[in-house]
Amino acid sequence: MELEPFYLSAKLAFWTMLIIPFIAAPIACMLAFGRFAGKSAVDALVSLPMVLPPTVLGFWLLVIMGPQGTLGMLWENVTGQRLVFSFTGILLASLVFNLPFAVQPLRAAFEKLDHRLLESASILGLSRTQAFVRVIIPNSLGGLAASSILVFAHSLGEFGVILMVGGSIPGETKVASVAIFEAVEALRFDDAFLMSAALVPVSFLVLVLINRINRRR
Amino acid sequence: MKRIVPFVLALVLLLPSSVFAADLVVAQAANFMPAMKEIIPAFKAKTGLTVQATYTSTGKLYGQIINGAPFDVFLAADQRRPDALFAKGLCEKPFVYAKGQVVLWTKNKALCEMGWIKALQDPSISKIAIANTETAPYGTSAMNALKSAGLWDKMESELVYGQSIAQVFQFASTGAADVGLCAFSSVFTDEGKKGCYTVVDLAPPVIQAACLLKKSTHAETAAQFIEFLGSDEVKAIKKKYGYK
Repeated sequence: MELEPFYLSAKLAFWTMLIIPFIAAPIACMLAFGRFAGKSAVDALVSLPMVLPPTVLGFWLLVIMGPQGTLGMLWENVTGQRLVFSFTGILLASLVFNLPFAVQPLRAAFEKLDHRLLESASILGLSRTQAFVRVIIPNSLGGLAASSILVFAHSLGEFGVILMVGGSIPGETKVASVAIFEAVEALRFDDAFLMSAALVPVSFLVLVLINRINRRR
Repeated sequence: MKRIVPFVLALVLLLPSSVFAADLVVAQAANFMPAMKEIIPAFKAKTGLTVQATYTSTGKLYGQIINGAPFDVFLAADQRRPDALFAKGLCEKPFVYAKGQVVLWTKNKALCEMGWIKALQDPSISKIAIANTETAPYGTSAMNALKSAGLWDKMESELVYGQSIAQVFQFASTGAADVGLCAFSSVFTDEGKKGCYTVVDLAPPVIQAACLLKKSTHAETAAQFIEFLGSDEVKAIKKKYGYK
């Protein structure tokens, strides 16, 4: 059994979980409290990765992140590296397809906040950004944990998008789900079974761990 | 009237799928798709029988067949999988229906003029797409060519792997990979014509075998189709797509 794909999956899930709140929290805040034209369009746009088939999303990302795509070209000019077929590339893809899974629980948590808290913050002279950092976020830690759990578990299991933009490079983009798929394709059913079986307790343990941390708070 | 429309729509979804069924269902390895898309109408013109094809990788089709998928004929990209089915007693004796060739395909026309060995070593190249060397016969053949040319160890860090020969072409045609070690047949698709190719002469031919599945409920039609695959008409189509 190969172990490297598991390490890669864990690394991908970890970095996605770490980075995504910085993108998701402001968006969730905007959707929960903002009143602006085109809000429902923004809402739909953010949720799009949840509804689109992973192959469609993967294909778009492959084109945009390829050396002839806007993002890929920019990246190659700045770093000299190719964005697709790299760990950074699959991490970026992971951030895109996880966005709705991070935004929804956060938004729900924000909407449940006591409005008097926000009014007090405003009366006490806090700016919007200050209120966000010092009032909204500390009072939504449960939502933040729920969103992290979901994102971590979801990235561990992601397959379609990564298959499309990753190129299955051992030690770089060949994550557990892709390795399992390849084992099945190669008729190495024993290997596939072992790897799949290993993924269950790993995912389970992670969830239990995060749940515990959550409860202690 | 307004109330009837959703009712009828719902009814359509409830129809058993056999309403749309064809006379014959074939499991076709993806590389042969461009040729098969011409063979099916030709067969219909001749016999009036409709054929429905499922295109995906040989490994996936094999997995589906051993788990009881309702196919009549299996057209693989290698000999190993039909032989394995035959050994399991799941199909009749396999026969060779095509011999495929690996080519280097790229959007960058200057590369093709160099020939594949020089093109692969060109400094402008950073990613080379190749099919999974374990499961895709075109990947195995391409790997053997790289090994024969003494390039495998040198190039390994630049390789990106497609799960099927179709994905390899997708990587190359979107420009995500600079070149792709593709099937000759992909050169003749609309996308394929936008680039150029050079034959990888050191790649051993990919011998593609097919067999009639024992589970088939349309054995007679299947036999007719298999016979048609050997006809001059099909030979001409195969030649057109680079098969021998």
